[in-house]
Amino acid sequence: MTRMDATEASAILASARQGDGDAFRVLVERHGRAVFRLAFRMTGNEQDAEDVVQESFFRAYRQLGRFESRANFGTWLYRIVANCSVDMMRARQSRHDQSRGQSLDEVASLPASTGHGPERLAESAQIATQVTEALRELSALERAAFTLRHHEGRSIQEISQLLGIGTSAAKHSVFRAVKKLRVTLAPLHTQPVRLEPGTTVDQVRSKADAPGQAGEP
Amino acid sequence: MTHCTEEQLILHYYGEDGGRPDVERHLAACAECAAEYRAMFETLQLVVAPAVPERDDSYALDVWTRIRTRLPEQAAPWWHVWLGWDRVAVAVAVATVVVAAFVGGRVWPRPVPATVPALSSIDAEAGERVRLAAISDHLERSERVLLDVVNADGDSVDLSTEQAWAADLLDSNRLYRTTASQAEDALVAGVLDELERGLLEVVHGPSTPTPAEFEAVRTRLDADALLFKVRVLADELHEREIAPVQPRKTT
Repeated sequence: MTRMDATEASAILASARQGDGDAFRVLVERHGRAVFRLAFRMTGNEQDAEDVVQESFFRAYRQLGRFESRANFGTWLYRIVANCSVDMMRARQSRHDQSRGQSLDEVASLPASTGHGPERLAESAQIATQVTEALRELSALERAAFTLRHHEGRSIQEISQLLGIGTSAAKHSVFRAVKKLRVTLAPLHTQPVRLEPGTTVDQVRSKADAPGQAGEP
Repeated sequence: MTHCTEEQLILHYYGEDGGRPDVERHLAACAECAAEYRAMFETLQLVVAPAVPERDDSYALDVWTRIRTRLPEQAAPWWHVWLGWDRVAVAVAVATVVVAAFVGGRVWPRPVPATVPALSSIDAEAGERVRLAAISDHLERSERVLLDVVNADGDSVDLSTEQAWAADLLDSNRLYRTTASQAEDALVAGVLDELERGLLEVVHGPSTPTPAEFEAVRTRLDADALLFKVRVLADELHEREIAPVQPRKTT
């Protein structure tokens, strides 16, 4: 952000905090797409993401008086979106628990495709469906923490701040999410990944980003 | 080094252990842990980020159109209220206090104490709002952890995350309860006291309760209507927090 942008953003924020609807509209226009992107990654559902977008801006507007002008508005909004997404997932899980027809065991027992490497498998609709189902089985907090760690690349410390929980709770949420996903998705493994011991996710990402490689964790 | 735990492998995968050389050495030397790490690696590779649906440039305007009618009257921040609540009046009041104190000091043997509380009461007001905001945030977090407990899947419950979360909240709960008691805020102190007992029950209960044990915890939380009380108090504090400051008499 340039100096002029920062000054302008500061002025817009100040106006919005005084109840200027037009100033708040500018904030919505600036951050709307980014908010949708995060909401979609957190909820994994387009309609839910749309609801989260609306609710997040609604909450942000109500809480503007509590926003400290020295803080970064984007970061503050990001935190609201993360928490709205958790609330949305909780509500959805409640509905899902009452109406789901296919159990996780049934999904996990579906035959896995064979004959492709993991990158190609991840692209297949069947794998995607099962991964989606497995993610849906996580608790709202587990899913939020996992998404922030796995897809958004946030550290445990950042996750704890974004979700307003302790670092131990954030760490536990990621642990439990990974453990559950391992149990659910284990039947999908078809061939071992060749990697050196000690390879970290950043190294894998570099590999995935290389030309000719698929996958975008 | 003994075998790596699953937690260590997860932290290593995400680079949260700072790339500990002892873990890397162990993975290079231990076939069992290396296989475990590879299995975890395979699974996590399957979980790719979903493609985000495209939203064009007009999207944000659409969002604004949808939410604008729902937006409530903006409550100005507390400091803004008392700064904006007629700065001239404040300046006049302060000047009056200074002059009165000066004159009083010259004419009477003692300073006039009646003018001092007007300023200190503003400080107290600010402190009170900070306290309310902090407790309100704390209650919202506590509500989430209690909701997670109450809504956990009753067949195979693992409350370890909720326990860690509740333990994090306990210390701040004690602090807020003590502060509320000192401020003679019986309503807040009472609910925080009940909340503390609820959090303690979660923290000290079994991490993987049997269905019967879990049902007992859930029933006790329901019986105390703790969630309801926490939610109502959070709303109440939020209302108090954003309520405009009442102009005070300065003379």
